[in-house]
Amino acid sequence: MAEEKWRMIRPFFFILALHCLAVFLYTRGFLLTRTELSSFSRCSDDHPCSAPLNSTAHSDPFQRPDRDHDQWCWTRPAVDRIVIIVLDALRYDFLSPSTFFKEKKPWMDKLTVLQRLAAKEPLSARIFKAIADPPTTSLQRLKGLTTGGLPTFIDVGNSFGAPAIVEDNLIHQMAQNGKRVLMMGDDTWLQLFPNHFKTAYPYPSFNVKDLDTVDNGVVKHLFPSLYQDDWDVLIAHFLGVDHAGHIFGVDSMPMVQKLEQYNSILERVVEVLKNQSGPGGLHENTLLIVMGDHGQTLNGDHGGGTAEEVETSLFAMSLRSPPPSVSSILDHSTCKLDLEGEMICTSSMQQLDFATTLAALLGIPFPFGSIGCVNPELYALSGGTWDGQWTKNRNQEYCSDLEEWMQTYTNVLCINSWQVNRYIDMYTSTAVIGLPSEDLRHLRELYTQAQTNLQNSISSTCSESTLQRQIDAYSDYLGSVAKLARSAWTEFNLILMFAGLCVMILSIFVQIFFILRVNNLLELNYLVSGITSSPFRLASALALVVIRAASFLSNSYILEEGRVGCFLLGTTGILNLWSSIRRGKLTIEEPAFLFLNIILRFGIMIGQSKKNVGSTSMDAHLYAFNISLDVRKQFLAIPMALQDLGKNFAPRIIYAIGFGLLTLIMLCKNLNQKEQPSSPAEQTTTATVAMLCAWSPTVLILLGSQGPPVALIYLFGAWCIIRSHRGVQMEAQSQKEVLVNDPISITQWSLLGVCLFFYTGHWCTFDGLRYGAAFVGFDEFNIVRQGLLLAIDTFGVLHIIPVMSLPLLVTLKHCYSKHSQVKAVLFLVLTQLFLSYGLITAVTTTFTIVCVTIQRRHLMVWGLFAPKYVFEVLGLLLTDILICLASLCYY
Amino acid sequence: MGSSAQISASKAFTLHLLCALAFAVAWVVACDVFSWTLVGHPALVLRLLFSVHAPFVIVVYSMLRREPEHCPFWKAVGRGLLAIPVGALLNAFGAIVLGAPVGISYLPKTIYWSLLMSLFTFVPAACVVGSSRTGWQSFLLANSRPIEELDCMIILPAYGAIIGSWFGAWPMPLDWERPWQEWPICVTYGAVIGYLMGMLVLTPAFILGMKRQARIKGD
Repeated sequence: MAEEKWRMIRPFFFILALHCLAVFLYTRGFLLTRTELSSFSRCSDDHPCSAPLNSTAHSDPFQRPDRDHDQWCWTRPAVDRIVIIVLDALRYDFLSPSTFFKEKKPWMDKLTVLQRLAAKEPLSARIFKAIADPPTTSLQRLKGLTTGGLPTFIDVGNSFGAPAIVEDNLIHQMAQNGKRVLMMGDDTWLQLFPNHFKTAYPYPSFNVKDLDTVDNGVVKHLFPSLYQDDWDVLIAHFLGVDHAGHIFGVDSMPMVQKLEQYNSILERVVEVLKNQSGPGGLHENTLLIVMGDHGQTLNGDHGGGTAEEVETSLFAMSLRSPPPSVSSILDHSTCKLDLEGEMICTSSMQQLDFATTLAALLGIPFPFGSIGCVNPELYALSGGTWDGQWTKNRNQEYCSDLEEWMQTYTNVLCINSWQVNRYIDMYTSTAVIGLPSEDLRHLRELYTQAQTNLQNSISSTCSESTLQRQIDAYSDYLGSVAKLARSAWTEFNLILMFAGLCVMILSIFVQIFFILRVNNLLELNYLVSGITSSPFRLASALALVVIRAASFLSNSYILEEGRVGCFLLGTTGILNLWSSIRRGKLTIEEPAFLFLNIILRFGIMIGQSKKNVGSTSMDAHLYAFNISLDVRKQFLAIPMALQDLGKNFAPRIIYAIGFGLLTLIMLCKNLNQKEQPSSPAEQTTTATVAMLCAWSPTVLILLGSQGPPVALIYLFGAWCIIRSHRGVQMEAQSQKEVLVNDPISITQWSLLGVCLFFYTGHWCTFDGLRYGAAFVGFDEFNIVRQGLLLAIDTFGVLHIIPVMSLPLLVTLKHCYSKHSQVKAVLFLVLTQLFLSYGLITAVTTTFTIVCVTIQRRHLMVWGLFAPKYVFEVLGLLLTDILICLASLCYY
Repeated sequence: MGSSAQISASKAFTLHLLCALAFAVAWVVACDVFSWTLVGHPALVLRLLFSVHAPFVIVVYSMLRREPEHCPFWKAVGRGLLAIPVGALLNAFGAIVLGAPVGISYLPKTIYWSLLMSLFTFVPAACVVGSSRTGWQSFLLANSRPIEELDCMIILPAYGAIIGSWFGAWPMPLDWERPWQEWPICVTYGAVIGYLMGMLVLTPAFILGMKRQARIKGD
């Protein structure tokens, strides 16, 4: 008997293993992960880069000379104040003169004030082509700009849902080091940095159709602030261009109007700054930066990695001009005449370098996780970096301006490399998925070499060529780090993805093979036919599953997945109703199921409307809880202590009961192997009901106020499906064949779970997770415990309950008790049932994987397809595991 | 069987063509005379289509009624008129189950759409079969009797309309933001295309196929 049992269970484990392999391979190729480190850079951190000329030439370079720590941290502050104006989705061709492109388009040459500045004052103002790294969505880009890292889709860290940045970042360093930050505009900044700003004027960013509210708000606060001296860094984030692009596209009147509006705003800003840039003025040593966070396509989309999306512009102007020798630092390879016939030069930089460069200019520690490199051109633009601070302490030889600057820059790069090296070391030792060890060894070699060079070259510090060699060595190291980081954090591994997909498709064929084998066994040995006896029902069930799966190819259908599921469930209901009319046996459950479908669709509609309002599920949950507590407080006058006890104690008791019951079931199954008097079908029913009793209280209490209606709908829906399944079986029996598994009923069983998933207000993105549910019964956070509760809440109605209750479909109304070997038949039937259910999930997941592969460059790949992939894959593995568990318990 | 059961393919095609022509005329009138479009004025166009199409359908199918010797023409017409609201209710119910929007602004559109769908699906059967329980049973039940030409004439356009509107609902969730994606415009397009296909292509083809099979058997 045990041998027989294992023969039936083995396929489930085999399929689970196949799926695990497929998911592992695909995920390694597709979902790039990065671990967020919680370390922070500090002013007092010891770095090996001394200011070399401060000490005598023969002293040990690693021994830090006395430095006035009150004045600066790592680098010498070069600017006093920074004005950062972020124009969301600023394409490179919005700013760069049209002569740089093949043909002039209507949206070009609108920001003429910046172009004129770059042409007229080439020493202190410059246009950069800033190259962003995908994903080019605003949130990820702001994160990248401020942390100096490469945010991936999944940044493994401690931020459980909240978007606030927990990593070290530029804004944190500014706040820590006494820089007062003033922020105005896009409220995303406030989500990312909830309490770093001295003053903030946030405006809501989610209404894409509103082109002006944010911009007008920024303008209202920007100009008065420019006359104030109560800030050091001003961030003004305009959203109009992004929104105009999303709604009207780049080639449109509103876009041109927006750009012209910005041009006049910038003209005023430059005027105000210049008026106060005299000696002793407010903006004597201010740096103005006008930049985009990412580009956009001509349709206004962004998120992916095409050239249009990643190429954005950055304009920098220092109000304190550097000496003329700066021109030898600046790149002159891309100079062209502009429309007015003046020579204008542009440079190219990586957005990755922004955070480090800014930190170096401000003289604050570089963010811990930054892997950028101080950009020489942007650094040199600021006049403050040319102050010859070394001249006084040196008497051997005389260095030119340029050489002095190069010394400063070498020192900055030394600190930069040391900081990056520290991060790489720390990351390698703590990350979940580390970096390839071979590349790491290469990096370490480069770093050691550069540091040795520094020691050797320390005696001849004034030679330009030596300094240049040293700068090149550091740049080489930093460039290699960035390259390695990009390959690990931004590039898909297509081979692994393809391998995963192949294994997944193979697993589907294996599943079909098993189903057909069980079918053969049933037909040969016991003269009952399994799933394949009714071609029409099989074909329509397959068609529905494939239609649902194929719908994931479009982002719209993923967004409306609840409605699609409900539509298909309604279709199965109508099919069943029609076939029961055709049979002449119209029973109550078919119309009742349709009414249930109406309830479901309205519930899903309400759930969807919650999504559109915004992701405040946690707040809503807590709010509801507080209200109920208040009500109880007022009417029942329960003492506070008792309330707290009840709030946490009652859910915990329920979890404990569920867990205890589950253990008990497993124990009983293993201990009690004797033949029982009741029929096997009854035994299985009992086991199933016990299993449901173990799982459902936990699921229900996590669902909160939605628990009771969900339970009612579930019971009612399951009753309808079981009854109509029974009807189909009877029909088959009357035609002298015994159909045991009806494909449409199994599809309905799975679709009902999908509909309830959306009915309960879940959806397949991470802000759709109901974080409030994770804290039912617990106040403090524990990643394993809270993660488990969150998983049970998310997948409870979608997978756990349907899989566990699946045997009821055949055992409750079994009609093959006449066979002698009842038990063997029953288990074969159950095996086929579980295999078919698993097949439905696997087909859906396979299509999701195909869709994600096709759409991997899609605008919404990180917003929609990737979360969908994660949900599907977790659901698939969970289904497989639950099926294994169920087969162990029930067989 | 009665004489009406034996219908030649050409006769079926002619009758269906008559209905389809009436439908087309109504469409042209709506577009050219009133300059209404289905996208711009769905309720008005649907109402016009319904009111022009209804008399034709009822008259044509009442002429094809079962047992014409026992059942006068006016009785069949009366049955058809009665069937309109019943069929409309069934269709509206089906649409709401599948997710059609409900709301005051959608109410007229839904009503006229389901009236039109009732003409496509339920009214022909009601005119032909009538109110007798056994008639419906023999008409509906899967294995009660072999399929006749008349069954084809009723069932194929109805299936066409229903399957057409089911597929017509598919573009609705897409984010193209076109006005025709609104309920019930694309569903109506799907239904009309399916209905016309069923009437003008499938029915003659099926009847011809059945005749050929009967001839082979006869030989």
